[in-house]
Amino acid sequence: MTELGKTEAIDAGALPMVAARPTLEVTPRLRIVAIVVVVAVISGAIALTAGGYWLSNFTQAYCMILTLMGCAVLYGQLGLVSLCQWALVGVGGWISLRFYHYFHPPFFVTILAGGVGASAVGMIWGLPALRMRGLYLALVTLMLAGAFQTVITVTSFPVGGPGILGQVGASGNERIMMARPEIASSDTAYFLYVAFVTLLAIFLVEAHRRTKPGRAWALIRKNEQMAMASGVRIVFYKAWAFALSGFLAGVAGAMLAGLFGQLDASAFAPTDSIVIFIGTLLGGTEFWLGPFLGGILTRFIPALLIDFNVNAYVGLLFFGAALLLGLRDPVGIGGHLTGLAENLYRKFMRWRGS
Amino acid sequence: MIKIESLTVQFGGVRPLDALDGEFTAPICGLIGPNGAGKTTLLNVLSGFVTPVKGSVSLNGIALRPLSPVRRVAMGLRRTFQQELVVDEMTAHDNVRAIADHIAASRQEARAQIGRAMDFVGLTDRAHVPGRQLNLYERRMIEIGKTLIGKPRAILLDEPGAGLNESETERLRGLLVQIPERFGAQLVLIDHDADLIASVCVETMVLDFGKLLAFGPTRVVLDDPVVRRAYLGTA
Repeated sequence: MTELGKTEAIDAGALPMVAARPTLEVTPRLRIVAIVVVVAVISGAIALTAGGYWLSNFTQAYCMILTLMGCAVLYGQLGLVSLCQWALVGVGGWISLRFYHYFHPPFFVTILAGGVGASAVGMIWGLPALRMRGLYLALVTLMLAGAFQTVITVTSFPVGGPGILGQVGASGNERIMMARPEIASSDTAYFLYVAFVTLLAIFLVEAHRRTKPGRAWALIRKNEQMAMASGVRIVFYKAWAFALSGFLAGVAGAMLAGLFGQLDASAFAPTDSIVIFIGTLLGGTEFWLGPFLGGILTRFIPALLIDFNVNAYVGLLFFGAALLLGLRDPVGIGGHLTGLAENLYRKFMRWRGS
Repeated sequence: MIKIESLTVQFGGVRPLDALDGEFTAPICGLIGPNGAGKTTLLNVLSGFVTPVKGSVSLNGIALRPLSPVRRVAMGLRRTFQQELVVDEMTAHDNVRAIADHIAASRQEARAQIGRAMDFVGLTDRAHVPGRQLNLYERRMIEIGKTLIGKPRAILLDEPGAGLNESETERLRGLLVQIPERFGAQLVLIDHDADLIASVCVETMVLDFGKLLAFGPTRVVLDDPVVRRAYLGTA
């Protein structure tokens, strides 16, 4: 047997294999540079050209990007459909406002409070995912989004009043707006602040995707039994994904609160969570560029319709059509553009080498 | 050493395993039987995915039943599945690294173990190729490479040769026979290829409708008229 083994071990190299494509690897460093350049160029162009209505919409779009990134972690990494992401933005917004009115901390601490709070809530809301997935999980999370809307409509967001709910009501107190950070008090500066936080969030997600948790999530998505047979603790890594996704949504909620100084309960309808999911599919989940472009589109299209005095519900028709496209095209717009950019890079490197 | 005592598994009115006894002592053992005989169910019991209604299983004297599937992996139990489960989006290297993440004590150790496993299965040159570009043989090799990470004590291979052509099966055979000596692990091999079983397995267990049909030296078992009638279809 040993003789046979030795012979075969030597012969193993002669096995007919799929011809390796001459790939010029995109190094991690280059990937980081690409992320910084793309985000900086797009954000810089927006900051230089947009103002008023459009600048506000792009700031909201960047908050959407964070929300889509969380959705993409769950769907792209684990195959879990969560339809409560926009409600988690509301949770993060509520916690950050409550935190701000109690303690008046620096703005970044308020953002972290919103992120950590929504992360904890996201983990709890993610508990059904331990037992279910697909349509059932989608329905349960959508019901959670509906429940949040009901609760927030009754309680509303804190505005600096007394008690845990922080409402002014009959107390006669003035509504207090959440202050923006000193370095970003103007609309343009605040947009750039949000863009910087978005950049940090992209790195946070990329760091997850390309390391131990990302690999564990990939195994879970492929087959849970196989993941367990590889030593992956399913509950822990699923909870981690929901925590990360909730954190991103919470940070988005805190930044939205910073943009307007307060939040309106009517802005957190369950349908928005569905639109977030469609935007995630449209952008694609495999690359960071997917949620980035998906987030901008998700806000840009309704804003454009409003600008043209078209009923905003027409936007839902667009997203309905986009859902069909997104379901048929797993890589999304971000995936196609990333593939194109990588091919151009390889061609350029070959041309330079020849 | 894997020991099975009075093992019974029941799904409703069906008993995929019925009072099964046996002890795998040889470095490479075969597990054969017709479809529905209970082979994969036995692997699932050993892995912790199926809870028996009666009986016990142990690895090197340690009872497995109280241990979760992940704890079993930590103590050295490894397995592959009938269907190859390579993640398309990850490279060959990262597919193996995904198990090293949870088993190796340090990054250095993980790197060394991955390198050793990739070298053993002959995929060092293909380490950075995405899973979706690997052919079936390479994907099967990735699956075997994953089982060699850490300190495997017992490796359960569920039809590792399924879909491979003759020359690929020959290469697989060459690798399997080296595993016990090079990695210190006992192999339990399910396969429908009687030639593969005959050439690598020292002892073989034959199951039929969840019951033990025969167990002993492979050649003797395969030549047993009862086995030939039930499994090979000839008397």
